[in-house]
This record gives sequence, C-alpha cells and structure tokens, in this order.
Amino acid sequence: MFDLLAEMWSYAFMQRAFVATTVLSASVAPVGAFLVLRRLSLAGEAMAHAISPGVVIGFVVAGLSVFSLLIGGLIAGVGAAILTAVLARKTILRSDASLASIYLIALALGIFILSAAGSAVPLKSFLFGSILGIDDASLILVGAVATVTLVSFAVLLRPLIVSTCDPVFFEAQTRRPMLVEQAFMLILVLNLLAAFKTLGTLMAVGLMILPATSARYWSSTITGQLVLSFLFALASSWLGLTLSYLFPETPSGPAIVLTAGGFFLLSVLAGPLGFGLSPRRSVRRRPSALSRSATERTRQ
Amino acid sequence: MAAVLEIGNLALGYPDLTLFRGLSMDLEAGTTLAVLGANGSGKSTFVKMLLGLVDPLAGRLTWTGGRPREIGYLAQMTEFDRRFPIRVRDLAAMGAWKGFGARGRLDRGMQDKVAAALDAAGVLDIADRSLHSLSGGQLQRALFARVIMQDAPLILLDEPFAAVDQSTEAHLLTILDRWRDEGRVVVLVVHDLSSVLDHCDHALLLGNGEASFGPVRSLLTPERLVSQAYMSRSQADWMFRAETPEAAHV
Repeated sequence: MFDLLAEMWSYAFMQRAFVATTVLSASVAPVGAFLVLRRLSLAGEAMAHAISPGVVIGFVVAGLSVFSLLIGGLIAGVGAAILTAVLARKTILRSDASLASIYLIALALGIFILSAAGSAVPLKSFLFGSILGIDDASLILVGAVATVTLVSFAVLLRPLIVSTCDPVFFEAQTRRPMLVEQAFMLILVLNLLAAFKTLGTLMAVGLMILPATSARYWSSTITGQLVLSFLFALASSWLGLTLSYLFPETPSGPAIVLTAGGFFLLSVLAGPLGFGLSPRRSVRRRPSALSRSATERTRQ
Repeated sequence: MAAVLEIGNLALGYPDLTLFRGLSMDLEAGTTLAVLGANGSGKSTFVKMLLGLVDPLAGRLTWTGGRPREIGYLAQMTEFDRRFPIRVRDLAAMGAWKGFGARGRLDRGMQDKVAAALDAAGVLDIADRSLHSLSGGQLQRALFARVIMQDAPLILLDEPFAAVDQSTEAHLLTILDRWRDEGRVVVLVVHDLSSVLDHCDHALLLGNGEASFGPVRSLLTPERLVSQAYMSRSQADWMFRAETPEAAHV
C-alpha cells in the first residue's frame, strides 16, 4: 500500500493534481460556503452547466488552452446570468425556472457541439474531469483564480455577510446593493472554470457545495463555516485523487465528489446540527415528549 | 423646532397604479410618526421611498441639512433568515458595519457600544447565542439592538410589533420613547389601532387613494378611518362605542 502511495507521489501529473486541488480547495471553500448561506446551492450547479457551451466553443475555435477555457466560460457564464435576470424580471418565470431552462439548453448545446466537432477532448474527461489534464497552464489558472478569490473575499467579506444575512437591510444601507451580488457571481464563474480540468463540468460544483453543507452541520459561526469548508474540501480532494489513482478507470471528478459525499453523510449523522446529539435538539424535543405523555394521559 | 423633513404634494405608486397623491407634511426632530392603512394602501412603499429605494411619482422631498447618511431600518421580521450562522452580538454589531472598514476589527469602544445596545434591548444575557435558537421576541429585540447601533437621525420600523408578545412590545416601546427624547425622527408602520399609538405624536393614514396627516388624536376619527377604508362602518361603531383601550386614546 505504502509502495503504491509512494509511486503515486513520484509522478509529476499526480504532484500537479495534488497542488491544483489543494489551491482549488482554498479557493472554492468560501465560494461554496456563501452559495449555501445565500440559498444558491442549486443556482451554482446550474451555472456550472450553463458555462459549458462557452468552454466547448472556446475549445473548438481556439484549441485546448486555458485562455480559450477562461474567455469562453466567462462569456457564457456572464451571458447566462444576464439572460436569467432578464427572464426573471421581464417575464412570468421566476429566476430558478429561468436558470433551469437556460442551463439545460446550454449543457445540451455544449455536448452537441463537442460531439459534432469531433473534438480532441474526450467527452468523459470534459464531463467528469481528468487528473491527466492538469498541465502547468491549468495550475497557473487555478493559482490566479484562487488569488483573485481570496483577495476579493478579504475585501468583500463584511458586505457579503450583511447582504447574505439580511438582504433587505443591506439594500437599504448601500447605494449599489447589486454590486456585491454581481461580484460574487463573477467569482463563482471563475472558480467553476478553475475546477473544470480536475472535476469536469458535471462535478465542478461538488467541491464547493458538499464541503460547505457538511460544515453547516458542525459550526454555528461564519469563521467555523469557512475553515471547516476548506478542511472538508481539502480532505475530499486528496482522498478522491488517491482513489482515482488506485482505480485508473475512475475519473477524478466523481472520485473527489464521492469522497466529499462521504464527509457529508458523516456530518449529517454525527454533526451537532444534524442528527447528532446537541443540546438545542434535545431541548426542542422535550415539548413533543411532554405533549405525547399528555395525550397518553388523556387516553387513559 | 425646525422641520427635518419636508414633503410637498407627494404622489406615490407605480406606473400603472397610483397609491395616493397630494401628501404634504413636515416632520420635526423628535417626532414619532405612525403610518396606518389597509393592506396595499402604500405603507411599505412609503417606507421604501424614504429609504430611497422607490422614487415618488410626483412632489418634493426636502431634507433640511441634507439626507441623513444613515437611516436606521427594521424590515418586517418575516423577511429575515434565522438560520444564518451568527450570534446575537454580531447581529447587533452589523448596525455599525460600515464604520469597521473591510478588515477592521471591533475595538474596545465599539464592543462596549454593542454591549450597551444589547443591554438596552434586553438581550445582553443571550449575546453569544446563535440566531436560530432565539424566540421571535428575542430576535426582534436583537434587531432593535442593531437599529440602536446604527445611531441614525431617522429610524424606519416596518410593523415591528407584529410578531412579539406584550412584554417585549412594552420593552421595545421604551426604546421608541428614548429615541424620541434623543431628537430622532421615528417612522413606524403599524397594523392595528393599539396602545402603540400612545407613543406616537403624529399619524399618517393611507387608503382610498388619499393620505391624511395630523396629530394622532385628532386624525384618527371613526369617520376618517371609514372613509379611507381602514375599517368598515360596523367595525368603527363597535370599536368606538365600546370602552376598549384601543378607543381610549382617540
């Protein structure tokens, strides 16, 4: 077993994959935490799918490069966000239904173009990621996105917290309340693009949402959420990459997200805010136990 | 005392719906204004207009000394996400978040101010509890502590007593009185005719496309409440004939 792990560490592509996912974990953790807190978990998932045609068109037009991924993805991501907002404001559809419609069309379009163009990128690695696909340019992209993300969070943390906790209050306090929302969506798109190579389009949000939802079961503070989201994301990445190496046929995306799913299950069962024993829950259960005994007394 | 806010011939509504027109009123420092009206009469829109979120259809709004940089605001409690993972102490501190800067930490003086605000709102003993563990009344007290922290010359409260018990209401009303004594303008949307009106000196009654403004006691007559569709004739007869506490102040 140790020989196998030592062998894994000796490969340059595995070293790159570990570095990339470590940096990626630090970047996507705060984004995931705020997606969950802002009740945008599913919107994040939809956005990941919505940017796929942009990425594919980038591949087809400009070849398989980080630059084409970034430009194509950004255009598609921002376009999808604007289109969703327009549909939600100007037509009868709510924003969730608008976004669902847009992302379904976009995902189908992405896969259609990819198949029709007979692209050099295998469909499986596009959808589910590949640890073999992480070259130096991908590493630079992940590093750059992580830097932008962490600096943005350092500046935007307070407005983000206030606008997430109480949007009505925030709107009343600032001249341009949408600015924080727009900046956050842009950071989301950048992080999805950074996660594409490792996790694939279908799994890119997995490393954001599952560590964040797991963290929610353990901590009642923002700091706790952010730190635990990062730790869960990091552990999922490392264990998932190892799994993907041990079973060469498994793409890295599902291996990482499945590991994150394992942590989620553990958190649901054992976390103090899940099914685990917590003082609050036992207090809350007490009245129902009393009312049950009262009902029983009535029957007698 | 000089007027802080002058409103002249104001019309409010949306492109396809005028809620009311022709409202003129001056608010002086230390005024507590109750805003009453039936559902859809424009109470919340009036508050949003004062916040600058909705533009009036017509008329003028003049702030003597300029529009306050800070407006204390408390929305209806139903709009608040209680599962957000912060403590009561942090919620109160949020009232002064603009003063912290992006990275600044709460200094000793600010921590003392937060503690004083929590104490005034009666929630100092639960300052380190998470929001999700609070009752409706405790949450409203914590939100009042946030308004205290805003330290604003104009305070807007949208139905602040809708979901709290009598003792909490009584406590929060003492804060309202204190704000008035400190010379702040408090605008309070109220749903029912209740003893809350004893703590207000002026009222704004909206309804039936009209807006009436005046001292509480002379404005809220049965005739006007009926004509502005706040209540039916039979409800007014019952309320103003019976010796109820609600009727006593009118």
